[in-house]
Amino acid sequence: MKKELPKIDEYNFPLIYKHLSNFIKIEVSKAGVNSVVLGLSGGIDSAAACYLASNALGKENVAALIMPYESSSESSFEDALKVVKTLGISYYIIDITKQIDDYFEKEKDAADTQNIRVRKGNKMARERMSILYDYSYKLNSLVLGTSNKSELLLGYGTLYGDMASALNPIGDIYKTQIYQLSGYLDIPKSIIAKPPSADLWAGQSDESELGFTYEIADDIMYLLIDKMYKPEVVVSLGYDENLVDKIYDKIKKSQYKRRMPLIAKVSERTINIDFRYLRDWA
Amino acid sequence: MKKNNSLRICLAQTNPKVGDLNKNIENHIEVIGRANKKGANLVIFPELSLTGYFLKDSVYDMGINIYTDESEVLSGIYKISKDMDISVIAGFVEKDQDFNFYNSSCCISKGRLINVHRKVYLPTYGMFEELRYFKPGNTFGVFDLDGVKVSVLTCEDAWHLSSSYIAVNKGAHIIIINSASPARGITAGLNKFNSMNMWEELLSVIAFYYKSYVIYVNRVGFEDGIGFSGGSCVFNPLGETETRLDYLEEGEISAEINLDLLNNERFKTPLIRDENLNLTMKEIENILNKKL
Repeated sequence: MKKELPKIDEYNFPLIYKHLSNFIKIEVSKAGVNSVVLGLSGGIDSAAACYLASNALGKENVAALIMPYESSSESSFEDALKVVKTLGISYYIIDITKQIDDYFEKEKDAADTQNIRVRKGNKMARERMSILYDYSYKLNSLVLGTSNKSELLLGYGTLYGDMASALNPIGDIYKTQIYQLSGYLDIPKSIIAKPPSADLWAGQSDESELGFTYEIADDIMYLLIDKMYKPEVVVSLGYDENLVDKIYDKIKKSQYKRRMPLIAKVSERTINIDFRYLRDWA
Repeated sequence: MKKNNSLRICLAQTNPKVGDLNKNIENHIEVIGRANKKGANLVIFPELSLTGYFLKDSVYDMGINIYTDESEVLSGIYKISKDMDISVIAGFVEKDQDFNFYNSSCCISKGRLINVHRKVYLPTYGMFEELRYFKPGNTFGVFDLDGVKVSVLTCEDAWHLSSSYIAVNKGAHIIIINSASPARGITAGLNKFNSMNMWEELLSVIAFYYKSYVIYVNRVGFEDGIGFSGGSCVFNPLGETETRLDYLEEGEISAEINLDLLNNERFKTPLIRDENLNLTMKEIENILNKKL
């Protein structure tokens, strides 16, 4: 029996929608503010998070930052504008080309082009994070996270870059399900139709970089993580052994990205080890 | 005025503020006042309604020894229940004289404490860690509330069918299940979270096969990203839903529990009468003695 990733459909969507809206509303108000700011890339994840936030908090309480680099795709920029204009939310366009190029101007000795491409990509993600947190202060808003469960599990994100946020409404929803969810959120079709890309360099595609499609990876991760099946059990259900191993390996190796930094225990009560309170403690 | 053989109850689906006893007490008093206006004899709040659920280390700060003057903090609830001639079931962190902590539910009736249920089955798996902080209770009690026999089970208690078995065989007519159940799991084609569905199937089974009224009071709100599902409801001894509050929303709803229907059902399908307790006891002894 093949167990599949459950679909978000017309039956379960209304309650999921309400649940995610409540999450945003309640957790934002606990922080003593009433608004969020998020980075809008023109991709489906940040668009979905933006629609959810606008529904939860009202359009006047959501601000989007569009932060292109010179190589960012023009169509992504157009798609991001489509989102802010459709929702009627305030937005800021901040081109990050200069600060990125200024920094790497002094790093020219890096011979390995593949290496520099990854470093540049990470730097851009962290530059955007840094601007988001500045705007978080400026606008007295929380930074809303836009990473989905697939990329969080695969570690396909930049630590303290796009993975950084105060709260994330879509972090327990697989990429495949984000597409299904987006269908019910009335997100512009051009955003739903294009292939997933981090857009860190021209023509980048998540799926060709990862070497598998989200659709198959999500099915496998659903079995490994949600159902807690051992990899060999997942293989016995008809999935390719190499692919299952590769995905499980990626999940394990990126665990550090999903945890707080390690603290050397010295005292009798150590932060996050045996000093244990909710973030909602206050 | 209360009719014989019936109880007018109010299910209070609240959103407790974690770690804020005073604010939660204030909210309880408001809800009790509203319920009283609607003629309720009994107001039922969710599990740990006075403290919030994922308390972690603040369990230590929340504990109350309800048999000493520490219960003074609850004086507002004692007072309103006395003034309004009403009963209240609320969840709190109980501390005993030996400084053990329990996930408890008190029943304060007309200004007096008439029952405390200490949760027996403390989930400590997946997202739950109750046994890390709480000591388990050791009984499923039945008590008299305005002439009606009532048993309180707390959340996970009800997942062990032995708890409701014990309660009905001890004479319970109404099983009250207070809970803090997080919404989780989705299924294609199902218009609710999987956890809600599991609860409703369970409640229906308990109500039908133990020929009892089952009253489920679950909380709402979020604690660190975990959202509680609400959907508080009443099942009658036919296993049918009589009334239900919305999922995921705060609210209150009244219901009339009429024991005439229970009388009728227990006569037509006398499962409780026919229960062979001696056989069950013998088998349990065998199990305990490993004579399988």
